[in-house]
Amino acid sequence: MTGVGLETRSRFAAILLSIVVAVVLGGLVVLSTGANPISVYQEIVRGALLGRGLDETLSRSVPLIGMGLAAAIAFRAGLINLGGDGQMLVGGLAAALVALYVPAPGAVRAVLALMAAICAGGLYAWIAAVLQLGLAIPFLITSLLLSYIARGVTSYLVRYPLRDPSTGMPETYRVASAARLPNSIFDLPISVGMLIMAAVAVAVIVNDKHGVNGFEWRMTGLNPRFAGYSGTNLQRQTQRVAFLSGALAGLVGALLILGQQYRFTDGALLAPGYTWSGLMAAVLAMASPIATVVTAAFFAALQVGGFSMERALGLPAVLTWVLQALIILCLAARPVFFKRR
Amino acid sequence: MLNMLLSQVLDLMTPVLLAAMAGTLCERAGVFNIALEGKMLVGAFAAVAASIAFGSPMLAVLFAVACTVIFASPLALGGARFGGDPIVIGIGLNLLAAGLTTYLLSALFGVTGTLVDPAVTALPRFGIGALAGLPVLGAIVDGHNLLVYLSWLLVLVLNIYLFRTRWGLRLRGIGEVPSAAAAMGANVNRYQTAIVLLAGALCGLAGAQLALGSVALFAENMTAGRGWIAVVAVMLGRAHPLGIALACFGFGLADAIGLRLQGQGLPNQITDIAPYAITLLAMIGLGLRGAMRKIRNT
Amino acid sequence: MTLLQMKGISKRFGSLVANDGIDLSVNSGEIHALMGENGAGKSTLMNILYGLLKPDAGEIRIDGKAMDFASPLGAIAAGVGMVHQTFRQFPDLTVWENLVFQNEPGQGPFVSAAAARDVVRQLGEKHGLEIDPDSRVRDLAVGIRQRLEILKALSRQAKVLILDEPTAVLTPQERDSLFTAMRHLASKGMALILVTHKIPEVIAVTDEITVMRDGRVSGTLTTRETSEAEIIRAMVGRNVPPTVATKVTSTAQPMLSVRNLSVRRGGVAVVDDVSFDVRPGEIVGIAGVSGNGQPQLISAVAGLEASTGEVVIAGRNVSGLSIADRRAVGISYVPEDRHLTGTAPAASIAENIAFGTHRTAAVARYGFLRKQAIRTQAHKLIEQFKVKAASEQVPIGSLSGGNMQKVVIAREIEHGSPLIVIEEPTRGVDVGAIEFIHKTLIAERDKGRAILVVSSDLTELLALSDRILVMFEGRIDASLSGKDMNEATIGRWMMGGAAGA
Repeated sequence: MTGVGLETRSRFAAILLSIVVAVVLGGLVVLSTGANPISVYQEIVRGALLGRGLDETLSRSVPLIGMGLAAAIAFRAGLINLGGDGQMLVGGLAAALVALYVPAPGAVRAVLALMAAICAGGLYAWIAAVLQLGLAIPFLITSLLLSYIARGVTSYLVRYPLRDPSTGMPETYRVASAARLPNSIFDLPISVGMLIMAAVAVAVIVNDKHGVNGFEWRMTGLNPRFAGYSGTNLQRQTQRVAFLSGALAGLVGALLILGQQYRFTDGALLAPGYTWSGLMAAVLAMASPIATVVTAAFFAALQVGGFSMERALGLPAVLTWVLQALIILCLAARPVFFKRR
Repeated sequence: MLNMLLSQVLDLMTPVLLAAMAGTLCERAGVFNIALEGKMLVGAFAAVAASIAFGSPMLAVLFAVACTVIFASPLALGGARFGGDPIVIGIGLNLLAAGLTTYLLSALFGVTGTLVDPAVTALPRFGIGALAGLPVLGAIVDGHNLLVYLSWLLVLVLNIYLFRTRWGLRLRGIGEVPSAAAAMGANVNRYQTAIVLLAGALCGLAGAQLALGSVALFAENMTAGRGWIAVVAVMLGRAHPLGIALACFGFGLADAIGLRLQGQGLPNQITDIAPYAITLLAMIGLGLRGAMRKIRNT
Repeated sequence: MTLLQMKGISKRFGSLVANDGIDLSVNSGEIHALMGENGAGKSTLMNILYGLLKPDAGEIRIDGKAMDFASPLGAIAAGVGMVHQTFRQFPDLTVWENLVFQNEPGQGPFVSAAAARDVVRQLGEKHGLEIDPDSRVRDLAVGIRQRLEILKALSRQAKVLILDEPTAVLTPQERDSLFTAMRHLASKGMALILVTHKIPEVIAVTDEITVMRDGRVSGTLTTRETSEAEIIRAMVGRNVPPTVATKVTSTAQPMLSVRNLSVRRGGVAVVDDVSFDVRPGEIVGIAGVSGNGQPQLISAVAGLEASTGEVVIAGRNVSGLSIADRRAVGISYVPEDRHLTGTAPAASIAENIAFGTHRTAAVARYGFLRKQAIRTQAHKLIEQFKVKAASEQVPIGSLSGGNMQKVVIAREIEHGSPLIVIEEPTRGVDVGAIEFIHKTLIAERDKGRAILVVSSDLTELLALSDRILVMFEGRIDASLSGKDMNEATIGRWMMGGAAGA
């Protein structure tokens, strides 16, 4: 056993090693399809960091950090939330509906839409928590099954009752510009979404490091029996953490609808796979919120680089998805690398 | 009419049943396997790719099995052998499967979405000869492919294996208290590794059935949650092969009825959620029963 | 005739030398005690003999043949059997399934259940260790489960049988019948090794004694020719006076009053209509064989388990209150298992001490933790309780059992509650720490706290308690004090009381 400092250092080493091994394995995948891995990786780095790439990386970081933190706060308290997709969908739809149909001035409507999304996403995750507490159905499974149900229901709604018939797509009407979240403030390349997410990240990090609640959640994650014995109301805490995790996912849905897509299009929220990338970022960060912000931003850069690589070399951008999964697998299998004795 | 429905149920439930048998083995061995979804997807892709390469359905199935066994090795080695977290590895494998199949679909075949090729043919269906003359049952059981029959045989074989053989006894012990089994001289690592690889093979069959059973194509994420339904089936059947088969039959029925209703004009977005809704309801039902029993006992 | 000979066994883990040139020889027909404090190296030595660890140096001979065990399988094949402290059993499987595990009778791949049942019955009759082969192990009493462990070893033709602290979970009567069985097995020519730190049972049942300290043999004694004092000297290298508290009688108003308390599980009352008081300035002990409802009773008092009846703490009825509220009213609780319940092993010592009071002003302000205050308090308690730790920032799981227990007790005492409930205060704790913990508890009693102790170690209860309550099948039938408080009387009540009382 070692001190805390060394623990952190060996964790960091494990993460770096995982990335290196994943890059090598990913290179082999590229080689197997007859392309040159060196130029692929060059394009990814260039595309992620140079020119417009950096802006794109920043804007993609917002939803990814959001979903990463949603996963991380649940992990910390010992919950595995695989239902981010569903929570994001109900949040996004709630935001779209409020922004479209609530008769209020634009900015008020945007705020109400955000709040509706937070409540909808939170409640959707809360259902899974209640099922775990009351009926002993694993949260991991229920949250995921609920995602499939949310996907079917939202898809039906935007195809039939809520559809904008003027477009050929299964989608709602466009949100009026007054109710949208501005993409730049004072002509700076900073969107309102970025500000909101930065505030959320700071709150999550501070709560985790210094907050009484964060302390309680973290100790529960480490040993729920100890937490219960020490007077923590585990039932209430599970419900709260599930709600907050889902609420954050719902917020991400709202930020995407109100800040980027402006309408709820069937499949558009899920296509980039933010939930799963965020989950992987949280796993890579071992559920530390501050590290999750870093890993989520790293994954965002990787994905943006992937798209640029696809444009330049014609190889599918989904390669970055493969890389992310490989990093997680290498990290999870790290006892193999770090076998002691 | 009912015969046709039930016959269709058998086809539809087979991938889930095969994957659930894989899950049963892992559950009994004490390895929580949530990578069934990803392994099935890899199996489906490998089966279609091999069909195009070799033109033989038999080779396609074998190739699918080989690929999923390899794909299961991180869980077998990293999870069972070296003490990595099986849930994290499972999540990683599921995502890797989604990414890898999509990437290879595009890089190897230049296709996004769905891959259909004249070289890809469905697995041949077999008649069961004189047995087909049986009233009701004959018509339901007749005319499926080999994997469908194999899956039912597997249910029986697993039942015997788990509860009648020495290896099954050892496996149950290993799954319940690995440290005790090790202390009694059982090679826990080797058992778990072998079982996870075997489960990988079964997922390969499941994937092959999915791609080459009723249809003859590969589509991105075509497993669409069936692997998760298999995970739930293992829970509902409490890791007993017969109970799990029954649960899988329930999902197959929900699926088939959904498809019928779709034919009647119900939007497919609604019918698509039928298996998941049924699954969730079944778990809630089981949970309620457990809760009621608890209340009655106190 | 020497049946087992271990010579020059050495084993190191990193910089720690667990075994340093150990010699041990046991004759056929002999019961040999292997003694020593926790951490003396007994477990390492026995794990080497059982093939779980490979020695760095030394040799093992059985019947004069040199052995080299690659795994327990090799050891079992060579005739070594072991009854572990925590049974290596599968609760969901039946007795016969457990017995034949890895050694199944039957043809080809199939297990013959009939043959397996016969093995259970025959072995049981032969050695007086009968069990129903078709019972599920989870339904059996501890004594019976131990029987199954011995049968397992016998069914594998064990010649050398290791028993690792076998009496920790038994009643005095069950213990005596175990000793009878041990003598019977020795008379059949087996060599038995009894790993223990309880001197009375070593005197009662063994022939030879090997004492270990700090990885070395510190004494080889013949039971007939030695004394308790000599054994203790070999174990600790100094004479430890047993801490026996001066007994007191408290007449103050009860700090804890339990009235008609019952806990039901699956239709069975595991705690059945229990009533008792604990007063300020006294230590009340609860004795009983494990599995008679002690943990459920304590959980119900602490609020971890639903119950009917009344729990009154400091004059306030807390029956409907949550754990947190009960703690606020005035109860501190040291749970039985410090790894599972008493701590979060991966978190630091400081965090483990602060947790539980983290919503009080001493630890947090405006919803934020006062990290400096937390560290200072932890540092103070580490000094005060002489905890051996590099700093208050190291994970508590890295401490030894005794030091970890000291931290847990320090935390609960620091809460300042008038009532302290403590389960197994010194289980898995070394002799030095036992003394410290006992003295601390007695000092807290003398300060006027009410203390309720549950322990499976009768010697400990007799040393600490002013009064002893005995639990049997969920009920408390006896409250013993004065000269009624002795091992024989308590033992009878632990068995149900009726026979001897």
